[in-house]
Order: sequence, then C-alpha cells, then structure tokens
Amino acid sequence: MDILIGSLVAGVLIGMILALVALGLTIIFGVMDIVNFAHGEFLMIGMYTGLLTAQATGIDPLLTLPVAAMVGFLLGVICYYGFIKYLVRGPMVAQLLGTFGLMLFLRNLALLIFGSEDQALHRGILIGKSFDLGMGVIVPATKLAAALLSVIAFLAIWLLMNRTKTGKALTATALNARGARYMGIPTDRMNALAWGIGGASVTMAGALLVNFWSVNPFVGILFTMIAFAIVALGGFGSVPGAFFAGLVVGMIMEIPGIWDFLTYALNWDWMANVPMTSLKYTFVYLAYFIIMVLRPRGLFGWKR
Amino acid sequence: MKVYTRKIMTVMCLFAVVGILVPSGAWAVKEVKIGVIYPLTGGAAAAGRELRAGAELAAEIANNVMPDLPMAMAKNAGIKSLGGAKIKLIFKDHEGNPTLGADLAKKLILDDKVDGILGCYHSSVTKTVSAVCEQYGVPMINGSSTSPGLTQRGFKWFWRTTPHDKWFTKDLFELLKGLMEGKVRGVAKVPEKDLMNLASACENTEWGSHVSELIKDLAIVNYKEYGFKMKKSLLYAANSADLSSEVRSLKAARPDVMLFASYTSDAILLVKTLKAQRAQPKIIWGQDAGFEKPEFRETLGDSIQGILTRTVFLPKVVEIKKVAGQVNALYKAKTGNDLGGASARAFTGLQTWVYILEKAGSTKPAAIQAAANSIHISGKELVVPWAGIKFSTSGDELGQNVLGSGLIGQYQKEKDGSIGLEIVYPFDVASANMIYPFPKW
Repeated sequence: MDILIGSLVAGVLIGMILALVALGLTIIFGVMDIVNFAHGEFLMIGMYTGLLTAQATGIDPLLTLPVAAMVGFLLGVICYYGFIKYLVRGPMVAQLLGTFGLMLFLRNLALLIFGSEDQALHRGILIGKSFDLGMGVIVPATKLAAALLSVIAFLAIWLLMNRTKTGKALTATALNARGARYMGIPTDRMNALAWGIGGASVTMAGALLVNFWSVNPFVGILFTMIAFAIVALGGFGSVPGAFFAGLVVGMIMEIPGIWDFLTYALNWDWMANVPMTSLKYTFVYLAYFIIMVLRPRGLFGWKR
Repeated sequence: MKVYTRKIMTVMCLFAVVGILVPSGAWAVKEVKIGVIYPLTGGAAAAGRELRAGAELAAEIANNVMPDLPMAMAKNAGIKSLGGAKIKLIFKDHEGNPTLGADLAKKLILDDKVDGILGCYHSSVTKTVSAVCEQYGVPMINGSSTSPGLTQRGFKWFWRTTPHDKWFTKDLFELLKGLMEGKVRGVAKVPEKDLMNLASACENTEWGSHVSELIKDLAIVNYKEYGFKMKKSLLYAANSADLSSEVRSLKAARPDVMLFASYTSDAILLVKTLKAQRAQPKIIWGQDAGFEKPEFRETLGDSIQGILTRTVFLPKVVEIKKVAGQVNALYKAKTGNDLGGASARAFTGLQTWVYILEKAGSTKPAAIQAAANSIHISGKELVVPWAGIKFSTSGDELGQNVLGSGLIGQYQKEKDGSIGLEIVYPFDVASANMIYPFPKW
C-alpha cells in the first residue's frame, strides 16, 4: 500500500510543478495564438537563474524565486518587443519557425555560457531532508516545498488574470484583439505582458525544479514536450485546464509506481520484469496523442 | 672504363661521408602521434579531465628522463628504438557520443595521420571508434572501457588493458559469498537469507545494459547455489535529470543488495535520491565509473559512508606499491587530485602504447600489431595492482589483457575526518574492517 500512496503523492507533487511549467505556454497561446517552442529554454534559464543565484549569494535555493520571476518577466518582455512583435506580422509558419529559432538560439547561448556539463544544487536548508508521512511514505522536503510554492505562484497568476483590471484587459485581448484595441486597450502592451507573465511563471517553475533536478542546456526540450502535452490535455489557453492537466500528467508519469504496486499486490513475477520506468514519458506522449485525436481542443479548451 | 669506375667510387664515397656525418637518428621519426579520444565535455567531463591528465602524465614520463622512477619508460627521453621519438598526444572530445567518436577517429586517421588511437572511456564510443580503426588498419589501445563484448569481436587492431565487467561483477559475488562464509574482515558470518534479494539499476547505454545482463546472469546461473533472487533489474536513461520513480521502484522490491552501473552525474543523483527516499538496503554497490569519481565524494560528503564500489585503483594501492606512490605524487602535483580508477587506467593505457612502440621499433601498423600481440609488461612497471599486461591472441577474447584484476573499495571515514576508499576485497589485501550492514542515512 505504501508503494501506491507513495506514487500518488509523488505524482500530485510533480504534477503541481509541471502545471506551473505549462502555465506560461498556455497564457502566451491564449492571448496571442503563438506556440512558443522556446518554452523549455525559458525553463532552463529559470533553472540556471535559481542555481547561480543560490550559489553566488548563498541564500537558500527556494528563496531565489523572486529573482527567477524577474529574470523571466524581463526575458519574456524583451523577446516580445525585440522579436515576436515582428514575427506576428508574418504568416503562421514564420511564427512557428521563429520561436523554434529562438529555442535554438537560447539553448546554444546557454551552451556557450554554462558549458554542457550537468549542474545541480547540493546545498540548501531542505536538500537531502525528507518527511515521513507514515506507512513508509517518504516525501523529499524539496519536492514538497517546490510543489506548494508552485501552487502559490499558480494562484497568484490566476488571481492576476481574473481579479484585476489588467487581467481583464488580457482576457479581452485574448478573446478579440481587434475589438479590444477599439475599446482602447493597448493590445501591444498586453501581448508584452502575456509574454512577461508567461516567462515569469516558467522561470519560477525552473527555479523550483532545480532544487531536485539537475540542469544542462538541453534540459528544455523534455519540458517543452511535457508542457505541450499538458496544454493539449487541458485545452490551449485554459489556465485551470493547465492545472488539472498538470496533475493528470503527474499521475501518468507515476504509472510505473502503480504498476509496482500491482506487481507486489498480485505477486506476479513477470510484472516485475517489465521495464515500466523506462516508459514513463512514453505514457505522457501517448496521452498527448490520444487527446489530439479524440478531442483536439483539450478537456477545458475554449479556443478553436 | 677507369674513369667510369672512379666516378662510381666517388659517388659511393660521398654516400659514405653523408652517412657518417648525418647521425642515424635524423632519419628516424621525430614524434609519434597518438590520437586520444575522451569525453572532455558532457555528463562524463569530470572523468574526461582525469583521463586526460592520466594520459598526459604518462606521455611526460615517456618523453623525459626521470631516473628516480622504477619504470622502463622513465629511463629514456622518448622512444629509444625510434631514435628518441617523442610521444605527441592529439586530444579529441567525443562528448559521450558514439557517432561523433567514429567521425573523430576518421579525422585523426585521415587528417592528422596518427600512428595509433587511445580511448574512449564509454564502451559505446569505444565500440564505434574501434570499428573505424579496424577498417583502416590502425592500432587502438583501450584502457578503460569495460563492456565484455568489446574484445569478443575478433578485431585484429584492438587491445584492451583493463579487466572487463565480467571479472568485476564476479568480484562482487565473491564478496557476497565471502560475507555468507564469514571471510570478510571485521564482519561476522551473515545468514544467506539476509543477502539473497538483489536489485539493480544500470544506465541504458552499451556499458550499463551489459552490466545489467551480467549481474542477472551471474546471480541466476553462476552463483545459483547461493539462492540469489533478482527482484528488480531496471535500466534508466543515462544523464537523467530525475531518478525518483526509478528509486521508488527499486525500493518497492525491498532488496537486500542494490547494484548500480552509473556515470558521474547519475551516480550522484542516485545516491541523493536514495537518501531522500530513505532506501535502506544492507549493501549498496556501484560498478566503478561514477561511484569512484572525486566529484562523487566531494558532492555527497559523509552520506556515502558504507557504499561499495568496484575499482581498479585505490589510493590505498599507493601504500602497497611504491611505483604507484611515486606516480601518484607526480599526478597530485599536476592536478591536485589523487590517482583514481580513470586516471590510473588512462596512464596505464598510454604506458602500454609506449612499451609497444619501443618493442616494435617502427610506427608501421604491422610492426605495432606484432609487438602488441607478443608484449609482456611486468606488474612491477604498472601503477595498477595487476600481475602485468599480456594480450590474449587466441580463443574468444582477442586482444584482452589476461593479467588484470579488480578491487572492491568501501567509502569510510578516515582518521582525519575525510572520506576515503578502503580495500575490502580481495580479502587478503583488505585495508580496513568492512562496514556492514549499510548504515542508516
């Protein structure tokens, strides 16, 4: 039983963080209809920001969140004004290839600056600590803290989007950009804001992830793929959708744990030899594929 | 006719004079180029730095006279039989990528015109690089790849100095057997049922997946009478960023012994995750590589006390072998670190190159091949604790050194508070009591 509960808890925790990873992608898509292929690279930059800030200042890695958010916000805004703004005037394919180019650029820039070696945090208040939830369920402290902070960040962004005037303006831009412009909403600035918020949310997720996940310049692609799966599942442009789909994807990644539980519960030896852990991401992509075929706008999607 | 003869005489005299005036060495090769392919960046970059430093040190010793060092290659500057030709190393970085490795080997052979190749650490890369060398008929010596299959391909231009994983994995089972029979220093006889359940997690490239198979094979076939059970045997993606589901899966199998084959960053991540998940097996054993890198110890500190790793070299060897101590001092002066399994074997790999060239007296591939197949280097010359180097020339393992052997070390706290590796196997050279069972995190 401890195996099952352990897996479910781990799935929920990683799901909460993955939801924050996907949030930025869905906001940018929702507001601007642009798919940001460089999303994973933003995350990678967030991870490096967390890592380097913690190493340089000696503060706890979890407290580097504001720095990461600032870096992400600036990065998003700079990308918008310097690059995306010109890109949206072009055809759809130019937008796709444009953010793809941005991804390659950021990745190789990181390669130049940080080198290709894996780097990881080894010092921090919570690193190496874990909580015993009883019944043999052990939760690493960093994961728990990261998941909680991730939910807080998620809530903060949700409030910003739904309870403030700026948020309403953003929603208006998302629904009908031309109409919003006629109503006097500075849509250009709203687009930049969407990129800023999107960037900040994903770099925050990066700074949280780096507490227990090592970083190298190529780490982004994995998360781009996972974020795509989450956004597709939750519906392109849907903020609550991203949260629930994040949890679902977290659970899907824990299928190997559930399999283990069944193996020992049923005591079937052949099940122990199935290489389930190697397939954990395969299940995520499979879910992505199925949802794309059956319900292309996702579970909560409203954009068609 | 007379005039004609005199002309011939004059010409011959001229030749003779030239022959006397110009020393014979001037006609010999000035330098021997060895292409060295190591992972200098990427996940195994830490190992790459050690390998490079080890090979460089061996070249320095071969190229200079160091009378204090009891090694044949320290007595001359350069290769004596090649007129004092110096060894020149040309380093290339394969980043752990087999395709890139093969391309680099082609470049070294065709563009740099190297006389031979040394490398490549990752068995997967050694596999492709040796195939290129075989194709071009260029000799290659491998000092540190331990996948058994590499010397089972019948290659004629490939020689491996290090023992391979089958020997090392056997050592592990011998240690487990020793524990059950009460042969281990400082540990009372352990009941068989306490060590029966095994679980392994190995990285999924050439090397790790082979180790995984070997462990299964040895446990179920060769050591059947001890009743070992393979509860779980999983492969994970090399250079993983997160291994928590793997560790939870291992833990779920409730094994007594956890076995790993991991490169540096994975090994660190594994131990961190094991600790975070409070996995509590009785034995944690690593198949060298990541588990014996300085980074592993520096990063994880005290928490690795009690972890076992098989290796070919431990700082303790320095206390047993004088020559190892002297080379270690040189290495420490150069890098600040002690010799480790990677650096000692890279050193030995290049040393073997030097001895083979000395014996061949030529850089012609055929001469090198003949020299390699007949060479016998005494164990006294080596820094590693082997009986020597002699390559197999028949049977199903062509080019494998038959005089190598392995060690099993355990991380323990030294008197000065630092963490060091103590020898626990072979039992007759054990340098400390073994810590058993693995302490609580």
